[in-house]
This record gives sequence, C-alpha cells and structure tokens, in this order.
Amino acid sequence: MHRRGAGLGAIKNKNLAQAKYKDKGTEIAEDKFTQMTQQMDTFKTNLEDFARKHKDDIKKDPEFRLQFQEMCASIGVDPLASSKGFWAEMLGVGDFYYELAIQIVEVCIATSPKNGGLINIEELRERVEHARGRNSQNISIDDLYRAIRKLKILGSGFTVISMGSSALVQSVPGELSMDHTKILQQAQKNGFISQVDLTQNFKWEVERACRALEFMVKQGLAWVDDQDSNGRKYWFPSLCTNIGR
Amino acid sequence: MADFEWPWQYKFPPFFTIQPNLETRKKQLEAWCSLILSYHRHTKSYSLNITEAQSSPLFYNKSLSRKLHVDGIYTILDELNKKGHIEWKDKSKKECLIMWRTPGEWGKTIYKWADDKGMKNTVCTMYEITNGEDSEDTEFHGLENWLLLRSLKCLQAEGKCEIMAGNEGVKFF
Repeated sequence: MHRRGAGLGAIKNKNLAQAKYKDKGTEIAEDKFTQMTQQMDTFKTNLEDFARKHKDDIKKDPEFRLQFQEMCASIGVDPLASSKGFWAEMLGVGDFYYELAIQIVEVCIATSPKNGGLINIEELRERVEHARGRNSQNISIDDLYRAIRKLKILGSGFTVISMGSSALVQSVPGELSMDHTKILQQAQKNGFISQVDLTQNFKWEVERACRALEFMVKQGLAWVDDQDSNGRKYWFPSLCTNIGR
Repeated sequence: MADFEWPWQYKFPPFFTIQPNLETRKKQLEAWCSLILSYHRHTKSYSLNITEAQSSPLFYNKSLSRKLHVDGIYTILDELNKKGHIEWKDKSKKECLIMWRTPGEWGKTIYKWADDKGMKNTVCTMYEITNGEDSEDTEFHGLENWLLLRSLKCLQAEGKCEIMAGNEGVKFF
C-alpha cells in the first residue's frame, strides 16, 4: 500500500508547492498589471490624440462637446475633474467651465432684481451667450448644467429646479419645498397662477395653497396682481421670459 | 408716444398693483419713479395733474387693462417728492411740478453750455437760453421758466451767475 502525503516530507512538499503557486500567482498578477498599464497608456494616448485632433470641435461645437463628455464619462474619465490636469492644459476645458460658471453667476446677480433669483435656463443661456460676445463659441444647456455643478463646491447657493422639458436655476439661498416647485411647474405655462388653480388642480386645502403662495411672495419670487377679474393672480417674473425682451 | 420705450415692467400686469412684499415694493417704486421721469423727459412736460394722469397711458396700460390707482400714484409721487424730483403745486395735492432733472442738475448743464458757447461775463436773456438758436440741440431747450429760474438760482448760490433784476436776464461768471 502506498501512503501519500502523510509524512513530514509530504508536508514540506506541500508547503513548497504552495509557495511556488504563490510565486506564480504574483507573477501572473504582475504580468496582468503591466499589461493593463500598457493598455491604459495606449488608451490614454489614443484619447489624447483624439482630443488633440478634435480640440476645435470640442471647444466650438456644443453637440460634439456633449458627446465627448459622455464618452469620457462612460469610461470613468472626468475631463473637468481638475483644472490643472492634462485635459485643462490640452483643451482648456477646465477653464472653459470655470469661466462659464462665473458668467452664470454674473447673469444671475444682474437679473435677480427682476426675477428674484430664479431664472429660466434658456434665458440664462441666451444671456450668458450674449455676455460672452459674438465671437465666442456656442453654449449648450448641457454646458450650463456642468458649470452649475462646479458651483456646488461653493455651497448650496445654486440649484437647478427641473420643470419637465425646461428648468429654472435658483441663485438665492433658501430651499424651495415640493409645494413651491409644483407651483412653479404649474405656473410655467402662463407665467402666473391663482390660489384656485392650486386648490382645484392639486386638491390642496386653501390654507396650504395660501401658505405656499405667500412664501413665494415673501421670497420676492412672485408679484401679486389684484386687477384680474378672477381674483388675485401670482406672477413669476422668472417665468415671463417673453416680457420685455 | 410711438417711439417711447416702455420698460419691461409696463407689460407686467402686477406692476400696476402696489406690492405687499417690502423688498419687491422697493424695486417696484424705483421702477415707477424712473418710468415717470423718463416719460416726462420724453414728452418734455413739467407738470402732472392727478385727475388727468389717471387716464394717461403712463398709469393706464389699455392693452393689459391694468391701471395704477390713485393711491398708488400718490405713493409713487411721495417717493419722488422725497428724492426732490416733484413738488406739489398746492396743499390739496391735485397737481405737481415734475423735475426729471433737479434744478441743481439743470444748473450744471446750463452753466457748461454757457461756458462752451463763450457766454461768460456777458448778459444773456432767459429767452435766449431756453428758446434761442444756440440752445436748440440742448435738453433744456423749451425748459419752463419757473424751472429755469430755479436752476439759475442754484448757480447763483454757488456764485456762478447773477440773475438780473426783473428776472429777464442773467450773467454767467
């Protein structure tokens, strides 16, 4: 009968084998790592080449910029992550969004006497583009979102309120509740809303509608109009983009 | 009034309701003040009658069917009064004088004009200043006499001119 692997020698052999396996394992891992690094390098070079080649397109064409951003995002690269990084040097995109962010802040401050610190994203886009001058590149809504996201670092001053197909950018501190957002959404079409609209459409109690509307007046977001034949109307300058432009 | 450029607020219905929120009202009053002054500058008029004003396009936007009510008009005129741009003609506050430029501001403009035209140290008539050929392209062409006199009095107080007896002429220094 042949007994295997029970003696002292066998244990030794086993240990040896295990050590060898381990070595081999490390070796393979290292191989893989080098391979991966190589792949990443190639990838980076290709991406760089691509970026270099399409630099002008990325800078000038908002559509193309968006696609490039999406491509980078899908592989876990954020070209905007650091303004000092390769991308910023390469494309100036980091600067681009910081610059845009500053222009957004400027427009928001300049228009806040009129709109109480709430601006339609499309109006914002037009005004920012106007502020950049005629020779500057086009700005897309997506660019605005990206730039506004950068502003988050500075605190919760800037928020985007989604309104279905459109959006509002809020540049004043102060949380708007669900009720207030709903009011804005409802008022979006006409630029104004009445208490009855709320009690009828949302089945809100009069008291709830009243409180929410009063809040918006207090925040300077809504103006009241007492000369409508159907009772008091609450107007939102931020939603009346067609007036006075 | 075809070429008068109305501010955006004029097309914004709530502009004609005095706002309950203090901050908003402040902005509203400011906008009204500058609208009233620029409107009068445009029409070159120097007085406002409260009764007439209520049907004037200034306070009544027909296309919106919104009008600023008398109380509102008084609120804004009081604000303008504080800033020195209007003055009540009488205690009943039925009519007021509108100075879209204060007498002091007018004084400066007139003095600069006189200086430019080399009219210092000569006597010129009041008529010459507001109706003469030399002032045709100036803003104070057609300025009403009472306001001219006041503006010159401001200058006189600064020692920059002397109004002749009878208020017919003035000498700039």
